[in-house]
Amino acid sequence: METPEQTVMERLEQGTAPPPEAELPPAHTFEVKNMSIWYDKKRAIDNVTMDIATKHVTAIIGPSGCGKSTFLRALNRMHELTPKTRLEGTVLLQGQDLYSSNIDPAIVRRRVGMVFQKSNPFPTMTIGENVIIGLRLNGVRDRKFLNERLEKSLRMAALWDEVKDDLHKPGTSLSGGQQQRLCIARTLAVEPEVILMDEPCSALDPIATAKIEELIYELKTNYTIVTVTHNMQQAGRISDFTAFFYMGRLIEFGATTKIFTNPTEKQTEDYITGRFG
Amino acid sequence: MVIPKHILGTFDEVLTSLRKDLLMMAGLAERSLDRALKGLLQRDDDLCANAIADDEEIDQLEKQIDKDGFEILLRFQPVASDLRRVVSAIKLSPNIERVGDQATNIAKRARKLNRHPPLPEVEWIVPMQAYAMSMFKDSINAYVRENVELANSVCSRDKQLDDMNRDANKKLTERMMEDKDQLRGYFNLLLVSRALERVGDHATNIAEDAVYTAAAEDIRHKGSLIAST
Repeated sequence: METPEQTVMERLEQGTAPPPEAELPPAHTFEVKNMSIWYDKKRAIDNVTMDIATKHVTAIIGPSGCGKSTFLRALNRMHELTPKTRLEGTVLLQGQDLYSSNIDPAIVRRRVGMVFQKSNPFPTMTIGENVIIGLRLNGVRDRKFLNERLEKSLRMAALWDEVKDDLHKPGTSLSGGQQQRLCIARTLAVEPEVILMDEPCSALDPIATAKIEELIYELKTNYTIVTVTHNMQQAGRISDFTAFFYMGRLIEFGATTKIFTNPTEKQTEDYITGRFG
Repeated sequence: MVIPKHILGTFDEVLTSLRKDLLMMAGLAERSLDRALKGLLQRDDDLCANAIADDEEIDQLEKQIDKDGFEILLRFQPVASDLRRVVSAIKLSPNIERVGDQATNIAKRARKLNRHPPLPEVEWIVPMQAYAMSMFKDSINAYVRENVELANSVCSRDKQLDDMNRDANKKLTERMMEDKDQLRGYFNLLLVSRALERVGDHATNIAEDAVYTAAAEDIRHKGSLIAST
């Protein structure tokens, strides 16, 4: 262990750490193959194939209407809530076809949680009730278990210290940033495998945004995270991989550092440098 | 090379301004180097004084480019090719500034030499001068035109300039031993040769940054990497 008092020579004699073992490519939580989605006759997603790495953050960027939110929502079948939608292709979650006829969408949404652009705590519920509502709806009644999960979820969402004495207050009494973290705690309470985030910071101030970004960084040690963002700098800060969508097509997908320093496709370069249109 | 404009017009303006300052700085450094060498070869103290005077403006431009570069990073958070252009401009300007310093060094040595009878050995500097100047000019052109081929050619020419410097050092050292009365003169010529060799090193650094700007490829220290593996 190095100490500040060590001389340069002592540090050199101690030797440098052995080089890290060659990094294995990450496993994939999602394997999306030839996905196309239509809203009635309008094609929103056009033949997208991409794999989403386990316990990494994948950012989806692109101009408004490019299909990024549709793609995100298709990862937990939320897009089906819009009438007249149709999907072609396959979406495998841990190798299991999400769109197989024997799969219950409710189960999918428990395994793949979602946080929205605008925080949406249930207005009639307290902070505590908001967090454990998912478990209650799934029939969990054990109070001790619920209390433990409540605290654990709020701690993981970095909100526990701020609300532990106010759990009985309405969820809507919190600030915008706290409400968004409450929604993340609600998502975490049902222990999903994946967290989808649709512009989770777009309605927040810089401090609340920084807290959410820090939280995303911590959560990726346990969860696979896919986030949609319009904020290029945020995508650069928080994500390991970035996908650029344009007019429903996946234009480029790769390591975030590569995309933001030397993208392969001219369309990506034009978009991220602000030369579009 | 036509680069599409940004949606944000002010971003284009500040990038253009940064580029203009860099070109102005390179132009001044080139002029200063040219004046210093002409001052040496034509034994003209006025040209030497002009070369030294240019350095102040070059130094100010270095500070201006740093300031503008940091402001662009802060205000516009550039990415991809824009980021590479801004970072390279910030990295390039100290190399141009040092070319200006070398011009000043040459001018100062030339003024000392001009106080004494001419040395015929000053002609040994002529081929080095042409070689170093062409490397510097090409390195700046490679950056401006984002021409990887030209930049690579600058890097590969550096060894030749090093060899020319080594030859000049050897011959001048021999002359020092043969003619001790001209020791100071030969020593000043030796330092001129060394300054030109350093100009080649700075041109190489600029060319390496030009490759990074154009192709996002870091070609620095490739030889040492191969040697250590």
